[in-house]
Amino acid sequence: MTKNVMKNIWNILFLEGRPSIGLSFFRIFVALTVGLHVIPSFFHLDDNYFSAALKTLNYDFFPASFINGVQKSPDGLVIFFVWAFYLTWFCFLIGLFAQISCILMTACCYYFYALNDFHIGTLSWDILLVTLFLMCVTSYHGDYFSIDALRRGDINAWRCPRPFFIQRLLQLQTASTFFFTGLYKITGTGNWITGNPVYYLMNYPVQGVTKNFLLKEWMAVHPHFCYATGLMIVATEMSMPFLLFIPKTRRAAIILGLCWHLLLVLTLDVPTIFLFLFPAQMLLFIYPQKITAWIEAKRRINAQSPRPKIIYDGECGFCRASIKRVQVMDLWGKLEYVPGPKGMSEMRLELSDGRKYGGFFAFRQLAWICPMLYPMIPVVYFPGSGILGPLVYQWVARNRYLFPVPHTCSVRSCHL
Amino acid sequence: MNIHLRNKLISIFVVLWLAVFYYESTCYYYLQPFFKRELPRMKFLFPPAGWIMFYDLEDNFGYTEVYGVKNGNPQLIDPHQILQTRAIGYDNINRNALVSVLSQGMSDSFCPFLKRKFPYFEKFLVTYVEYPHLTEQPMERTQTVVYTCGE
Repeated sequence: MTKNVMKNIWNILFLEGRPSIGLSFFRIFVALTVGLHVIPSFFHLDDNYFSAALKTLNYDFFPASFINGVQKSPDGLVIFFVWAFYLTWFCFLIGLFAQISCILMTACCYYFYALNDFHIGTLSWDILLVTLFLMCVTSYHGDYFSIDALRRGDINAWRCPRPFFIQRLLQLQTASTFFFTGLYKITGTGNWITGNPVYYLMNYPVQGVTKNFLLKEWMAVHPHFCYATGLMIVATEMSMPFLLFIPKTRRAAIILGLCWHLLLVLTLDVPTIFLFLFPAQMLLFIYPQKITAWIEAKRRINAQSPRPKIIYDGECGFCRASIKRVQVMDLWGKLEYVPGPKGMSEMRLELSDGRKYGGFFAFRQLAWICPMLYPMIPVVYFPGSGILGPLVYQWVARNRYLFPVPHTCSVRSCHL
Repeated sequence: MNIHLRNKLISIFVVLWLAVFYYESTCYYYLQPFFKRELPRMKFLFPPAGWIMFYDLEDNFGYTEVYGVKNGNPQLIDPHQILQTRAIGYDNINRNALVSVLSQGMSDSFCPFLKRKFPYFEKFLVTYVEYPHLTEQPMERTQTVVYTCGE
């Protein structure tokens, strides 16, 4: 009996299949965080990574043999790793071979960390590495918002159920980091009870980590308020795990967590990771079923209202395959797909208000409709794209029967 | 993959991960003092001292100032010219990144670095500026030369 109960709890906690869309969304933030943290250090390779660079080496984090091996890197190898990082990072960001690119990108991160921890090595960087390690374990984060989703062409990719363990471990990591950060402040050598660290921070000179925010000067002369603030900070950090895991307080805790990190970024010079990764970690606590239920509700509403019609060459395998990819990207179910006659010169889009677009300009409109195409908006509206875009589109359209087509779409069997 | 095998593998991974995560998170400040000995640690993944963000701040503050000397005249060098890498969203200088050049042995790499970046100067003074009592005596400021480059 007890064994069964335990097994059930374990199943619910880690093994149960739940949609991975939240994790896929999280991947984008992890990629952005890694990029924004690491790439600036590449702008001064001679200062940071080449043989004459100013280096500090983290022997506590890496074994000495590993660091010594990495230190023997010639400058050419450093450049190779820079390009390897750019490539794998971009693939991870767009979700192309998501798991492999995550592993290779993480390997590059380790290389640069071992080469020099002066710029990238911070405690929040270590948190990011733990997150990356968990992301490397599975490919679930590539299920949606990814090129992998388009390659697979699964129109239900956004509700693909996966064992929940990775998201749960990421949740536990976030909650525990909060808890331990609070705990260390009041135990061991932490001095948030015996001292008044917030008060000291407010009195730091301009060279210090405290930003010059509105209340700083006032707080600098109100030690009691600072002490109470410090205690509140510790109490919040230590109670966050409970608030985040109790269903009734979860929503408030997520909002609190978001405000928390925003406040940190506004008041202290803390690394980019605080701005891009930690708020996204809060979103991991939103139940995936709630996200998919919300999407389904939106799809139902859209299905009942007049929708833009996308009209394509129904006899062309390449066109059907392309439309299937549009369907994958059409998260809100906003489009109606209408096969047109053979030999259409271009795809057409008829909006519900009567406006009509064709070819590249139809694609441009799609960028506003499909969430996965949002990042393309700056590209399709870039100056000159109105001239170049139609030319490229027409060339592709003219040669569409020559392009290879996925097996399932080659003989009219690509059902839409 | 067989679903039972998959679940077993996931369960083993979860148990191992949780054990390592909480062991590493508590080892330095709690487990080692409790067992009164140095415990084995896992490299490559966790911060050596746990999640210790802003845990111990005292009523003092210190940072590094570097002076270039030309014809006997010391001239303060903007730290942003020394560390030119700009981070996005924060200032690494304000995070006191430069203070690590005061660590033992850092002069061996920092001095050639300064000479390469600022060939104009004949020598450099690497100093430590300290505000020993931030709240009681905010104007009290000490400055000591930690090492000199180029002598």
